[in-house]
Amino acid sequence: MAAYTETDVLVIGAGAGGGAMSKRLSDGGLKVVCLEQGDWVHAMDHPHMYDGWEIERKRTWSFEPNVRQFPEDYPTTGNTTPYIFTGVGGSTLHYAAAWPRFKPVDFRKGTEHGVEGTIDWPISYEELEPFYAINDAEIGVARRTGDPGNPVRPEGWGPASRGGKVGHKMGSGFDKLGWHWWPADNAILTRTKDARLACNDCGFCLAGCPRHSIASTDVSYWPAALRNGVDLRVNARVEQINAKNGRATGATYVDRVTGRRHEVRAGAVVVAANSIGTPRLLLMSAQNGHPDGLANSNGLVGTHLMFHSWSFVDFWFDEPLEGFKGPEPAVLYSQEFYDTDTSRGFVNGFSLQVGTALGAATSALGTNTGNLAPWGAGHRGFFDDHFGRHALIYVQGEDLPVRTNRVTLDPDAKDSSGLPAPHINYGLHENDRRLVEWGQHRAREAADAAGGVIDTTTTGIGGIDAPPPGWHIMGTCRMGNTAEDSVTNKWNQTWDVPNLFITDASSLTTGAAVNPTSTLQAVAVRAAEYIKRRHRDIASQTITPSNADAPAL
Amino acid sequence: MTDLRLTSGDTKPPLGGWLPGVRLTEAQAAVLNAVADELIPGGDGFPAPSEIDVISFIARYVAPAGTPARWFPFLGENDLRARLDALGDGFVNGGSLARVRVMEGLERDESEFFVRVRDLVYHAYYSRPEVVRAMNRNLPAGRDYRPTPQPYGYSDVMDDWDDELLSRVRGTYTRTEDVRRVMVPADLPVGPARKLRGEGS
Ligand SMILES: Cc1cc2nc3c(=O)[nH]c(=O)nc-3n(C[C@H](O)[C@H](O)[C@H](O)COP(=O)(O)OP(=O)(O)OC[C@H]3O[C@@H](n4cnc5c(N)ncnc54)[C@H](O)[C@@H]3O)c2cc1C
Ligand code: SF4
Repeated sequence: MAAYTETDVLVIGAGAGGGAMSKRLSDGGLKVVCLEQGDWVHAMDHPHMYDGWEIERKRTWSFEPNVRQFPEDYPTTGNTTPYIFTGVGGSTLHYAAAWPRFKPVDFRKGTEHGVEGTIDWPISYEELEPFYAINDAEIGVARRTGDPGNPVRPEGWGPASRGGKVGHKMGSGFDKLGWHWWPADNAILTRTKDARLACNDCGFCLAGCPRHSIASTDVSYWPAALRNGVDLRVNARVEQINAKNGRATGATYVDRVTGRRHEVRAGAVVVAANSIGTPRLLLMSAQNGHPDGLANSNGLVGTHLMFHSWSFVDFWFDEPLEGFKGPEPAVLYSQEFYDTDTSRGFVNGFSLQVGTALGAATSALGTNTGNLAPWGAGHRGFFDDHFGRHALIYVQGEDLPVRTNRVTLDPDAKDSSGLPAPHINYGLHENDRRLVEWGQHRAREAADAAGGVIDTTTTGIGGIDAPPPGWHIMGTCRMGNTAEDSVTNKWNQTWDVPNLFITDASSLTTGAAVNPTSTLQAVAVRAAEYIKRRHRDIASQTITPSNADAPAL
Repeated sequence: MTDLRLTSGDTKPPLGGWLPGVRLTEAQAAVLNAVADELIPGGDGFPAPSEIDVISFIARYVAPAGTPARWFPFLGENDLRARLDALGDGFVNGGSLARVRVMEGLERDESEFFVRVRDLVYHAYYSRPEVVRAMNRNLPAGRDYRPTPQPYGYSDVMDDWDDELLSRVRGTYTRTEDVRRVMVPADLPVGPARKLRGEGS
């Protein structure tokens, strides 16, 4: 028996990008092996029916791998902690599923200003649009069409999630100001699809969804991918992508159950290990002919890390809003200040996204911004005034891609397989600080227009800790225009290694001012379509073609 | 499904806490109840923590002896028992004012421990069905609140969008072909790309 497995395509990581990629490739009959360092999450692994549901988000369902400390997680070091999840589904296992699209202008930020490391995307919104549509249909988007602030989007699988009292209250505020707003698109079923149940508005999305209403890829893409015959190997942690004569030959992984090493050989390798895991793996894959890591001859792997620039602003009102009902994070959004207006003192813009709160314990413990109910005599009055009267406005800004914001390998820290931990350095650019500060005032204006604010607190500029923790982690292996400005060409093909592709959030050239997953999955679907149709060309390439020379779809 | 060979022992905290839960002595339970009652005094239609067994919740989230207290709330059995014993009968019988003074001292001098206990008591109290019922009865904003998000959810009591309000929404966006170069604010650090092209500061 061969000591290795052979396949057409090897996909590394079973998260947002890897799930979409594996399904689409296997639809076309390609033989796919996918390696995932984590395991499956069962519906009963979610805390939604436990009396400790709120406390579990600080333990088993903490966003931070360094807090969870699960054996499948790798630790991270550096000046901030990324929020990522490990398992079949990746970080979609605990994402909020807000599902906006990037706007046409987002693909042309190099043309618009080119500040810091900003470049144009090698593709336009119009080129990506058909793949947004395919992906929306796969995941079952909830949508209300007709948003005048965006290009036309197709009908959703179901209607938009209901807005509840929070939606009405904040929508009225934006309406009074004459500002743009619209009900959020969500990757949440409002109508049953396959074996997934429609959302029942339970209000606790950020610990996954036991009804499988949220489109995490374990329930959206993986069932179909497995039916297509994809060989998904869990607890399989890749330690190195192998290369020979300028081409990738496959990868070596550690089986976390047995501790044994295995090799998979493949005609093409797709990395989708997220914006921290992908550069980490490429850097760990330094070998003969690739002394600084794979696909890194220009030194750009790991650079231009983006998190979005954030401020959370909690508001409490003098009337019941019942924010414990309905999908948690994105009720509606305003993109009144999305476009650059340099008279404000900065480039780029932001979305104001309205979210809700959790339950009683979270309310008593300060909601999102540390506004804690005091202990002792003042407790009852404070709690009774605050609980269920809350709305959150996220100021979600586009942060600049800055070269020194980057992922490197930590020389000392290791994961449970003895592989180096990633080290993260991230700081907000002056532009992004100004943007968020200005945005906070707009959030306040919107709440005042809604009327009856009794209290407000904020995370300040950057997040609860500064620098901000990243949960929209983007850009560390960006696609671009030339071998000098990026890690991949417009088909996600690395400039150095023609049969090595990168299709996760690390491939995003800029981050826009909206949540990234609908875009990164559209990019992954597009790249999958390319690999499917062009795998014979790719098999014969010894150098990666330029964007102009690459064969078309 | 999680491979149990990888998750046995102390590699993951069990969902819902450790069963059967740490069994405190009567004296220790009395101290903990007294602490909880000072943190969240009963009244105004809400029960006191000691009346509704917050202890059974807390007992599940204290790491049992022999298991490291690696996860929130980072309280280990032996440490908790020792601290409760140290407070002892004197704390329980000392009257509310004295208890508050002791707790203010703890908050000041041993803030890490105090915050852990406070947070755990808040979690325990607001998880109790009796408290949820009190919220349903006493708070207009809590009328529909349920002890857990699932299995019922809230679709039966959830308002939908106001079509009239939505019909008034205005907005626009920049088309691809309309994207133009902007004048970057003069005082903004612009980084290498524009400097190379001789633009900006
Ligand atoms: C709290 C929170 C809320 C969020 N809310 C939203 C939202 O509302 N909308 C939105 O669009 N986005 C949201 N996100 C972001 C979203 O989760 C990510 O954008 C998305 O999951 C990234 O996809 P990815 O493919 O880059 O990586 P992931 O989905 O993280 O997948 C990467 C996978 O690769 C695996 N892997 C890594 N290294 C290896 C290795 N060496 N060997 C084998 N496997 C490996 C990992 O275990 C993981 O499963 C949120 C994130 C968080 C944390
Ligand atoms: S609100 Fe809906 S999508 Fe969110 S966890 Fe509950 S049922 Fe799932």
